[in-house]
Amino acid sequence: MSDLDRQIEQLKRCEPLKESEVKALCLKAMEILVEESNVQRVDAPVTICGDIHGQFYDMKELFKVGGDCPKTNYLFLGDFVDRGFYSVETFLLLLALKVRYPDRITLIRGNHESRQITQVYGFYDECLRKYGSVNVWRYCTDIFDYLSLSALIENKIFSVHGGLSPTISTLDQIRTIDRKQEVPHEGAMCDLLWSDPEDIVDGWGLSPRGAGFLFGGSVVTSFNHTNNIDYICRAHQLVMEGYKWMFNNQIVTVWSAPNYCYRCGNVAAILELDENLTKQFRVFEAAPQESRGAPAKKPPPDYFL
Amino acid sequence: MFSFAVGRYSRVKVYRLNDDGKWDDQGTGHVTVDYIERSEDLGLLVADEEDHETLLLHRISADDIYRKQEDTIISWRDPEYSTELALSFQETTGCSYIWDHICSVQRNMHFSSLNNETFHSVNSDLKELPPVELSTLPLILKTVVEGGIADQLRVTELILNDQVFFRKLMDLFRISEDLENIENLHIIFKIVRGIMMLNSTQIFEKIFGDELIIDIIGCLEYDPDAPHVHHRNFLKEHVVFKEAISIKDSIVLSKIHQTYRVGYLKDAILPRVLDDAIVANLNSIIHSNNAVVVSLLKDDSTFIQDLLGKLKLPSTSAESKKNLVHFLHEFCTLSKSLQVGQQHRLFRDLVNEGIFDIIADVLESQDKKLVLTGTDILILFLNQDPNLLRSYVIRQEGLALFGLLVKGMLTDFEDDMHCQFLEILRSLLDSYASGSQKENIVEIFYEKHLSQLIDVITSSCPTDGITQAVSNSESFDGGTGKQSSVKPEILLNICDLLCFCIVHHPYRIKCNFLLNNVIDKVLFLTRRKEKYLVVAAVRFMRTLISRNDENLMNYIAKHNLLKPVVDVFVANGDRYNLLNSAVLELFEHIRKDNLKILLKYLVDSFWDELVKFEKLTSIHSLKIKYEQSLDSAGTRSIGSLLDDPRKRVEDRGLEKEEEEYFNEESDEEDSASAFVTNASRAQSQPALPNGSAPSVSPVRSGGLVDYDDDEDDEDYKPPPRKQSDNSDEDGSVESFPLKRKLLQIEEPEPKRLQRIAKGSKSRDSVFAALCSTLSQAVLPSKKMDSTVQDGPCSDGDEKSVESNHEEKGNSTDNGSADLDNHDHREPNGPKSYSESMHTSPDNRQRGEDYPLIPPKSSPEMAVNGS
Repeated sequence: MSDLDRQIEQLKRCEPLKESEVKALCLKAMEILVEESNVQRVDAPVTICGDIHGQFYDMKELFKVGGDCPKTNYLFLGDFVDRGFYSVETFLLLLALKVRYPDRITLIRGNHESRQITQVYGFYDECLRKYGSVNVWRYCTDIFDYLSLSALIENKIFSVHGGLSPTISTLDQIRTIDRKQEVPHEGAMCDLLWSDPEDIVDGWGLSPRGAGFLFGGSVVTSFNHTNNIDYICRAHQLVMEGYKWMFNNQIVTVWSAPNYCYRCGNVAAILELDENLTKQFRVFEAAPQESRGAPAKKPPPDYFL
Repeated sequence: MFSFAVGRYSRVKVYRLNDDGKWDDQGTGHVTVDYIERSEDLGLLVADEEDHETLLLHRISADDIYRKQEDTIISWRDPEYSTELALSFQETTGCSYIWDHICSVQRNMHFSSLNNETFHSVNSDLKELPPVELSTLPLILKTVVEGGIADQLRVTELILNDQVFFRKLMDLFRISEDLENIENLHIIFKIVRGIMMLNSTQIFEKIFGDELIIDIIGCLEYDPDAPHVHHRNFLKEHVVFKEAISIKDSIVLSKIHQTYRVGYLKDAILPRVLDDAIVANLNSIIHSNNAVVVSLLKDDSTFIQDLLGKLKLPSTSAESKKNLVHFLHEFCTLSKSLQVGQQHRLFRDLVNEGIFDIIADVLESQDKKLVLTGTDILILFLNQDPNLLRSYVIRQEGLALFGLLVKGMLTDFEDDMHCQFLEILRSLLDSYASGSQKENIVEIFYEKHLSQLIDVITSSCPTDGITQAVSNSESFDGGTGKQSSVKPEILLNICDLLCFCIVHHPYRIKCNFLLNNVIDKVLFLTRRKEKYLVVAAVRFMRTLISRNDENLMNYIAKHNLLKPVVDVFVANGDRYNLLNSAVLELFEHIRKDNLKILLKYLVDSFWDELVKFEKLTSIHSLKIKYEQSLDSAGTRSIGSLLDDPRKRVEDRGLEKEEEEYFNEESDEEDSASAFVTNASRAQSQPALPNGSAPSVSPVRSGGLVDYDDDEDDEDYKPPPRKQSDNSDEDGSVESFPLKRKLLQIEEPEPKRLQRIAKGSKSRDSVFAALCSTLSQAVLPSKKMDSTVQDGPCSDGDEKSVESNHEEKGNSTDNGSADLDNHDHREPNGPKSYSESMHTSPDNRQRGEDYPLIPPKSSPEMAVNGS
């Protein structure tokens, strides 16, 4: 069994890797991700997953429902980290799978894959707690910069974490973003990761999130028409039923963190597309309490103070 | 003793508003929420910390009278005394803890008034706990885990009042364990877990005491829902308390052990059981323990001296030094639990005792893990106050440490992460930091260390077999040429640091980068096989270009520094990857910001190669923009066509003089362009050093060369804009007039304005030069396409350009420099590029026509050009 396979097995038990393993993994991931496009092409069949937010045991439920990688081809729409207890294990498992099966799993960037945001919402603290230093956080956030910004499934389904941008009317325009940077506070890259569709908005509206925009049905219609796509698939917003169509089936939100923050009481969903792009939503619930075993962490066995 | 530690967060000052509207300090004490004697009501009690007299007794009201301010103050108008009272907490944790308590008591009161039945549930009449016996375990469990909040408070109180409760319970535990009575053990587990869930600080005090904690942990081994884990065994057999330096104070020792065990209980035993409130409570116990330990140790007059003294002593063994360094690290880490002021004083004391000398020593160790621990300690100091380290490294004795930090960044730590070095260097070199030493640090860095970084790049990139094989991607494989074994991540770190320097030291880098061919050398990275290094090199260029500095841009054009970028772009072919996007973004930036020098250079020099990619919008638009430049330039400078070609020759004679003139002026020109740089940065680069300033507001920050419009347009009227009229392809409508206004607004002081006026002279001429080149190229035939696609300007064009701008009388060498380079390059492009990399004397001469450098400019230039 290769080191990588062993690490994947270890991560599947929710045991984090050593710093040295993280470093090696990140360097390999960097080589792979640097070759990806800002609009990464993905073939069907594929299973699309929304936000995970460090809910490791719920992600294991997800794999139970959707099938293991590489048997199932996965597309994750970002927000792997923050909020949940296991951002480190969650992200490293996905990254290890990416390195092991680069063609069977696609990871795109969410607004939480950012230095600023992770310092506020938990990933930074978790790394500090689990490793005693923030080196792992630095490596992971460096990798975030290389993650692709969106995906295009069979030229027909545009997938992105947040939504559209007023500066982007064609997919071609996404090409000229140098994505290797911290998520900016404004501009196309920011909008793709931060925007939300909104019923009551006509055209573009200010986002209450303070970044990105709200966009209405007409915007989606014209974007889909211009780019000749069937619909947009995105994540970024909690939907209690796990998924939600809007604007006459022109855009769908997929949310994959059940019982979000361990208290929202929502179910989660993934979207399975077969080779003909036939849709099937698979809804699942949070992992039962007893399957969440595993002592989170053993402190180092020696101490000075 | 324990109460002291926990007391940190129950410690409050009581204030009462007097008749004069001022707050009177009523004393300091410890606050609890407890039953008021002889009543069923809960109240806030504050007992004086010295004589334990009651400072405050307040019956918690169901009314909304409480206010929480600034995280540490709870105030209210007391209905019984009709006066304003306030509790000021020492710790925010304590404040929020009491606040939560008040709220939950209030909720209960509301609840009980709604539904008296529920409130008086199982335990409401509970007068005492059931006797603690094996037979009553189920009843105890029921008592502990059932009932509402009021019940739980009552149970808590009863447990605390019963001096023997835990001792008896632990006796039962040991008996059951001896008898292997799993059923009882499971019940005891649930009782102990239930008691922990009561989240009572006083109970925690008790059960975490030395005599109980191991048995309590033992009880928690018997989770009926989880396999048996031998926690006690781990704690007894495997955990080692390393006494790097002997600690005699028994309180300190007891707290150290307790802290570890509480942490273990929280992280390893019950992580999934504990809710946020309990975790917060446990954390605050750990936190206050740490504070006690650190503060007792630091107040021990000899401790720090002993510690550092032992580290300095040559006779101390390597092993014990290592332990001492790890101890020092933990000590510094835990000092975060101190109040800010105290921590600062502690760190200052450590610095005065020579901690940085010790760290320098540590950084020279062969033990790489130890070295990294040393850097971790430095980071703790930087987080506390960067100036402590800054003022050290500029002193004579600190130079060594500075050098070691640079060396560390360049050292292969194999599997270990060593990003701390980059982090520390960044912090030292941060120009936004306050403090007077920063200039010195930057000075030292550029003088002593920059070349070291560059050498690592040059020695680890292939040096040959690259330039001739533009279209052959194989040659980028890095396999050619000799490479030292520097790890790619080190090169990446260097490149990141250089980008950081560009942003933070815009003037210094100009001098250093241009004098030493730094840019050429960094571009060696484009020959590495790791694509992320190639992309890093592109990002380096992008960062340079976003300085928007005319000198730099001329330098780039003159030295053909975009060639490696174009080469890797072309070699990358149609692959749509990060490299492709990064280069396209760079081109977009040049186009959108209308950086005419680079636009012209790029299209003139590389169109033959780029034309293959014309189907890409960005490449196509680049060409369109170029043609528009030609167009507008052409219409504006027809006059220049009439110039007598002979004049050129005469003008040559003037060149030396002019150069001197410009060298004199160089300072001012510098600051002028610097100003523009700042202004444009403010507009187009909101936050990020490598920000691609994406396209939401297509700001034109290319103010520089546009200044020529002001020749007859001093009042910032919108200039004639032919390009926007027919720019269908160029979708972004540029806010030209607006931009002017912005510039005006941001001009900070008249002095600067003057400088701009002077500086603009040279800009004008560059633009004039550019315009006339373009007009020459285009106008005669009116066949734009053919002219341009014929490739870079023909010889004749260039010459006439030179003549033109010199005739204008205020020439700069910039224009001609640009063209000279053409002369060199065009006949055999790639080769002359490699030449310019390796023949440094030649480069130096070229560098000399640069205003920053003493006026010894080259007559050769003139010869070359004519």
